[in-house]
Amino acid sequence: MYRPGGGLLHRTPAGPKLLTVMALALAISLAPASPWLLAGAAALVLGGYLLTGLGLPELGRQLWGLRWLVLVMLVPQAVFLSLPAAAVNVTRVVVVVLLAALVTLTTRTEDLIDAIARALGPLRRFRVNPNRIALMLSMTITTVPVIAGFATQVREAQRARGVPVQPLAFVVPLLVMALKHSDDLADALTARGID
Amino acid sequence: MSTDLHFENVSVEFAGRAVLRDLSLKLDERRIAVIGSNGSGKSTFARMLNGLVTPTRGEVRVHGIDPARQPKQVRRRVGFVFSNPDAQIIMPTVAEDVAFSLRGQGLSRTEIQARVTAALDRFGLTEHADAPAQTLSGGQKQLLALCAVLIREPGLVVADEPTAYLDAANSRRIARFLLDEMPQQLVIVTHDPRLAVRCDVALRFEEGVLVDRGDPAAVVARYEEEQL
Repeated sequence: MYRPGGGLLHRTPAGPKLLTVMALALAISLAPASPWLLAGAAALVLGGYLLTGLGLPELGRQLWGLRWLVLVMLVPQAVFLSLPAAAVNVTRVVVVVLLAALVTLTTRTEDLIDAIARALGPLRRFRVNPNRIALMLSMTITTVPVIAGFATQVREAQRARGVPVQPLAFVVPLLVMALKHSDDLADALTARGID
Repeated sequence: MSTDLHFENVSVEFAGRAVLRDLSLKLDERRIAVIGSNGSGKSTFARMLNGLVTPTRGEVRVHGIDPARQPKQVRRRVGFVFSNPDAQIIMPTVAEDVAFSLRGQGLSRTEIQARVTAALDRFGLTEHADAPAQTLSGGQKQLLALCAVLIREPGLVVADEPTAYLDAANSRRIARFLLDEMPQQLVIVTHDPRLAVRCDVALRFEEGVLVDRGDPAAVVARYEEEQL
């Protein structure tokens, strides 16, 4: 989510930032595993967060937010591969996610939408509307905390009735709430003149 | 521009079930309250005003525009505030959500920025401009929804139970804005008799039929008497 600021990355246009992060993500994902790769990637992330002007506390917040992802990825790989291999793979993913977060932290969503819509412009000849795809992406960002809120409501409703949390009894009401929300959002878009 | 809301023999059916029956009505009051029991057809009535629902039979004219045939024109003219503030936030941050309402109107970035800044100031949301919209309180979200509607400068605002999710203080704040401060024509669907009596006219629907219309205090009194 965007954080206001005046650092170098805030002043850089959305398009070049997106392209740079995509190139870096590709390079980090495809490069052969080595200690140099990990050290270079860590330095890149550190430098990037210092350039935002948001500093190390923001990097810490982002890392803390990834704790469950790290756990879910690290444990099975450590069991079935080896700990060093698991650490390298997980580090690659964490670095890519942290780099992507640099873009969203320093770019207003409307600038991101415009950049994505411009990049997808050539798809118009295939009757794809780039503005719709860009809008869909920004609405996805908006909707993530809403769906998380629904999940909390369902869990609390089950706990209030003393029902143990079961996957099916959790997923079905969550899906119903998400679908209802998507209907409401469609109405809100229509009411605001977006068809 | 006319401020008439005109319904001529309008019926609405969903899956063969009539939710609004043979409604003929002409209104030009500035503040119009719509009351009635749950499922009485009042939200359907409100939704027809900006084309979210189209009549199965009959004809609707909103300020001279037919919402079924000219949906884009009517949505430029009519703003809609839903009861659930969470479901009307489109963009991630407060300022972006308000700015979203001005997209596609041929305004420059500077103009959009200036209008958004002024609108946020008017609604007391300036300090939240760059905050994630979903982190606002319920009252602030509803103010954001109103702000996003009014920045388009509609001639008519339709509010479907706008205080349903709010506490007493926030309800008063939203009601004061809608009923006392906002210059636009207003259609407000509400279960709150205190809001209804502050309007210029009240309509009451039951089972899809307009059963009462007139002075809000009298319409509300008859409704409450029947509910006892």
